[in-house]
Amino acid sequence: MQKTVSLTVNGKPVSATVEGRTLLVQLLREQLGLTGTHVGCDTSQCGACVVHVDGEAVKACTLLAVQADGHSVLTIEGVATGDTLHPMQEAFRNNHALQCGFCTPGMVMSALDLVKNNPNPTEREIREYLEGNLCRCTGYHNIVLAIAEGAAVMRGEPAPNVYGTAAE
Amino acid sequence: MEMTGEFRIPAPRQRVWEGLNDPEVLKQCIPGCQALEKVSDTEFNGRVVASVGPVRATFGGKVRLSDLDPPQSYTISGEGSGGVAGFAKGGAKVNLAEDGAATLLTYAAQAQIGGKLAQVGSRLIDGVARKMANDFFGQFAAVMVPEQPAAAPAVERARVAAEAAPPVPPPHPMSTRLPPAVWVTGLAVIIILLLYFFTR
Amino acid sequence: MATIGTPVRRREDFRFLTGGGTYTDDINRPGQLYAYILRSQHAHARIGGIDTAPAQRSSGVVAVYTGQDMTADGVGGLPCGWQIHSKDGSPMAEPPHPVLAVDRVRYVGDPVAVVIADTLALARDAAELVNVNYAEEPAAIDPVAALQPGAPQVNSEASGNLCYDWQLGDLAAVESAFAKATRIVRLDLANNRLVPNAMEPRAAIGEFNRATGEYTLYTTSQNPHVIRLLMGAFVLHIPEARLRVVAPDVGGGFGSKIYHYPEEAIVTWAAGKVHRPVKWTAERSESFISDAHGRDHVTHVELALDAQGKFLALKVSTVANLGAYLSTFAPAIPTYLYGTLLAGTYTTPAIYCETKAVFTNTVPIDAYRGAGRPEATFVLERIVDLAADEIGMDPAELRRRNFIPKDAYPYQTPVALQYDSGDYAATLELALKAADYQGFESRRREAMGRGKLRGIGIATYIEACGIAPSAVVGSLGARAGLYESAEVRVHPTGSVSVLTGTHSHGQGHETTFSQLVADTFGIPIDNVEIVHGDTDKIPYGMGTYGSRSIAVGGTAIVKAMDKVIAKGRKIAAHLLEAAEADVEFKDGKFTVAGTDRSRTLGEVALTAYVPHNYPIDELEPGLDETAFYDPKNFTFPSGAYIAEVEIDLETGQVAVVNFTASDDFGRIINPLIVAGQVHGGLAQGIGQALLEGCVYDKASGQLLTGSYNDYAMPRADDLPTFALSTNTTLCTHNPLGVKGCGEAGAIGAPAAITNALVDALKPLGVRHLDMPATSEKLWRTIQQHRAPIAAE
Repeated sequence: MQKTVSLTVNGKPVSATVEGRTLLVQLLREQLGLTGTHVGCDTSQCGACVVHVDGEAVKACTLLAVQADGHSVLTIEGVATGDTLHPMQEAFRNNHALQCGFCTPGMVMSALDLVKNNPNPTEREIREYLEGNLCRCTGYHNIVLAIAEGAAVMRGEPAPNVYGTAAE
Repeated sequence: MEMTGEFRIPAPRQRVWEGLNDPEVLKQCIPGCQALEKVSDTEFNGRVVASVGPVRATFGGKVRLSDLDPPQSYTISGEGSGGVAGFAKGGAKVNLAEDGAATLLTYAAQAQIGGKLAQVGSRLIDGVARKMANDFFGQFAAVMVPEQPAAAPAVERARVAAEAAPPVPPPHPMSTRLPPAVWVTGLAVIIILLLYFFTR
Repeated sequence: MATIGTPVRRREDFRFLTGGGTYTDDINRPGQLYAYILRSQHAHARIGGIDTAPAQRSSGVVAVYTGQDMTADGVGGLPCGWQIHSKDGSPMAEPPHPVLAVDRVRYVGDPVAVVIADTLALARDAAELVNVNYAEEPAAIDPVAALQPGAPQVNSEASGNLCYDWQLGDLAAVESAFAKATRIVRLDLANNRLVPNAMEPRAAIGEFNRATGEYTLYTTSQNPHVIRLLMGAFVLHIPEARLRVVAPDVGGGFGSKIYHYPEEAIVTWAAGKVHRPVKWTAERSESFISDAHGRDHVTHVELALDAQGKFLALKVSTVANLGAYLSTFAPAIPTYLYGTLLAGTYTTPAIYCETKAVFTNTVPIDAYRGAGRPEATFVLERIVDLAADEIGMDPAELRRRNFIPKDAYPYQTPVALQYDSGDYAATLELALKAADYQGFESRRREAMGRGKLRGIGIATYIEACGIAPSAVVGSLGARAGLYESAEVRVHPTGSVSVLTGTHSHGQGHETTFSQLVADTFGIPIDNVEIVHGDTDKIPYGMGTYGSRSIAVGGTAIVKAMDKVIAKGRKIAAHLLEAAEADVEFKDGKFTVAGTDRSRTLGEVALTAYVPHNYPIDELEPGLDETAFYDPKNFTFPSGAYIAEVEIDLETGQVAVVNFTASDDFGRIINPLIVAGQVHGGLAQGIGQALLEGCVYDKASGQLLTGSYNDYAMPRADDLPTFALSTNTTLCTHNPLGVKGCGEAGAIGAPAAITNALVDALKPLGVRHLDMPATSEKLWRTIQQHRAPIAAE
């Protein structure tokens, strides 16, 4: 049961032959070599595999590769512009919002989705929105700060710069 | 887990008894049943394909009947293996009582599950078991009484025994999180195995 | 510019934020095959036989191996790295731990066979066809019940399931102090079993090069050299020179990636058999039943006090669960990382601890963040709080009366440790002030008006980390040295590579260690490279755990840098035609004292590698030095944590409304990274106290909390914003004055939270709560204690 799928990944058209049971995350990691999208569980709860499909945050372990046929996928590899980090990525760095880095791609993709729908989220809204993303390292404290900072910068406001690290 | 329940089947007791012992009838009623063979008068082997979303697995089971008292009651025990997905074993006491022109089937089943089924499914199994049992008897009733529409319901009053029965707490916020579709396959299978237990 | 003490952003972040990290599962080797490991679904069963023939014939299958195959090939069992002796002097029971089960499975998850195929899906399909003939036997699941006569026997080598019956301290002194006490406080408590749950599941790729005879193992490890030693010497009998172990980026560990696991040996051995790389990656549900679990103690504690509230003696008796087999460092955790910590921050003059370690038909248990020290802290800080309640004293005041005074260092505890520095009273005062402890009662009253029971809880902790002085741990049963290594390689143009035996699994070593080097050598951080995680590159080192990396690994780097500077001074003296004694190194330059004549580190390095004008008769060329540092003592970080919680009277829903942490970590190199370590530890500690608990069915031994459906990981909305502060006393026996910070939060938080919950429920007469205090448990507790009140 092989099928050829064609989709746009990080702005580039790609085609691949997949099995019916191949998950989108497997297509990304194993066939397209985009290993920034991670697999941290097998029950669709950890959120390490969050990508955007047609602009919506999706857990790439809950979607079959064939379901992504004809759609546009954005992974963590496509968020920065060249060597320039996206303001949300920069905010994660400024606030030490990542340690082992494993949940980080999913966190950033979820954060971008949150800010798209809610450009000025409160701390409570950020914490509630992160329901579907597990992090075992940071205790979420700095992730919450980072998302608030990323959202502020994306709104055109100055970075709160809680740790005094933003300027180099 | 322990589960008791009763179903009213709109067919005479003798016919219900025969239906419950007819592999062809059962095969029609068990979702995903691939093969069901009578090894002897008191033994069945079965194979069921269950598939949910991207997961598809084949489960094999064997059951033995004992304490046969046709057409009134029997005890059934057995075990089934879903390979790496886990296993189930258990038994049930099944009674058939005449209820006018219909038959009242009651059962009391106990099952133990192991492996991945237990690891990821223990908490979800009761609700799924009820639904699956209902589906099975709905179909069974339809097969028993072909002139009635298939939707004609078997009346289901399954109760799942709660442990120790302390006051029911308010739902923990965790419980609102999405149950993963992936595991439902395993659950479906254990339910099917339970069905084996209390239907033959 | 000095970077030490400043919040330098992490150098590793760019790659992690752009998807450029390289975790083990991101690696794929040419011609790679996939392994699926078939695991026991029974807690205890005899294996009557395994039929692999149908699986062997299955599509895409290259090989199927069982324990018999490995045994027949001479593969050894998994070794244990620590030997404990019982009270009577006898060594612990040490049952064999086969890589794949041979005649018996002993826990749900015990590996039974491996299927190797072209794809993972084909391997998994074929695993369905492996037919294992199990004869089920009764299982011992509960650790206390497993010690009872007639309990099912887990391992025939451990009679009555007892691994050891260990003791520490002077029982006679304790008994005599108890006889004189004005009050004795007693408590039974449990420390709940946890699953570490690093977000990256374990993975391993074995590779064999027929041309060279060299094996390579890529693995998710905190300590690649330890894996090379254990697997090479004890399991597969491969000489070190032909075995390379690479641990690339590691996605969290918290202890669970210290140990040598069966899968590492399986893929390495199998790669040698099939002559192709073999890859295995755990599914999360596999992690739950194969990663070593943590904690799981059942304890009785008694504290004796005099009339003024001074602690006279402490007596602790613990049953510790080890699971079915001895994991790599398991025996040390409920003994020398536990009993030795029971003095805590207090002057208790007599302490006795005994631990019975017991085998059960459950996943092996070993160190998990804090490892023994959270258990000790929970015991001590719970009994102290209970004592305060029973004698009617403010818990902060009771602690103050018993703190080791700041002028008492070095302080010898009655349980073997010698603390070098600290100021527990000042740290507590800092926390009390930050938490507005004084103003709490009005907050409690205000909360009651909203239907909430509000409570405040204090816990102080001390931890022994910076693990560890080799001779000391050797005398206590360690079968390894616990020094650390570093090589500092100054390149010809002055950039620097540091090769360290520690390994980051999220701690940001590439940043912290670079700060050390940049400041010492006076060069930009960007000119420093940190190399770790590859036994072919780095000197023999012991890895990262026990909050040891900066205290032990960092000190090794400092010592190697000292050697570089010493040699550089000789070279500079030659170049500057000065006496070596007159040359000083400062701000990246070797300068003749009192002059402006100097040479930069880069110039000296170039001279060392292009030795045209060089004291070649006295000095070898090159500027590349290695140092091994064996610590003189443990380091002793300490702290005071204050939790404030609110419990909804109607639903039992609990909220951590404030959490204040004041810590003493010694000198802090990067406050940003230290804060992150504390946050993460606190989250795990709060998780243990409120949410997490590993539950087995006590009869069947099935793991009931085996996925994120049922094992409640802390999520963002379960946790508060933390208020951190530090009160620094320097470590006296390492040159940096550092103590370590990796485990603190997980050590202190469970007791602080539990003390706060009990404080909140005190009006209902609640005396103790076991962890995890879920909303359900709190609701039931409230219902049970409310009923008699309502009846009155």
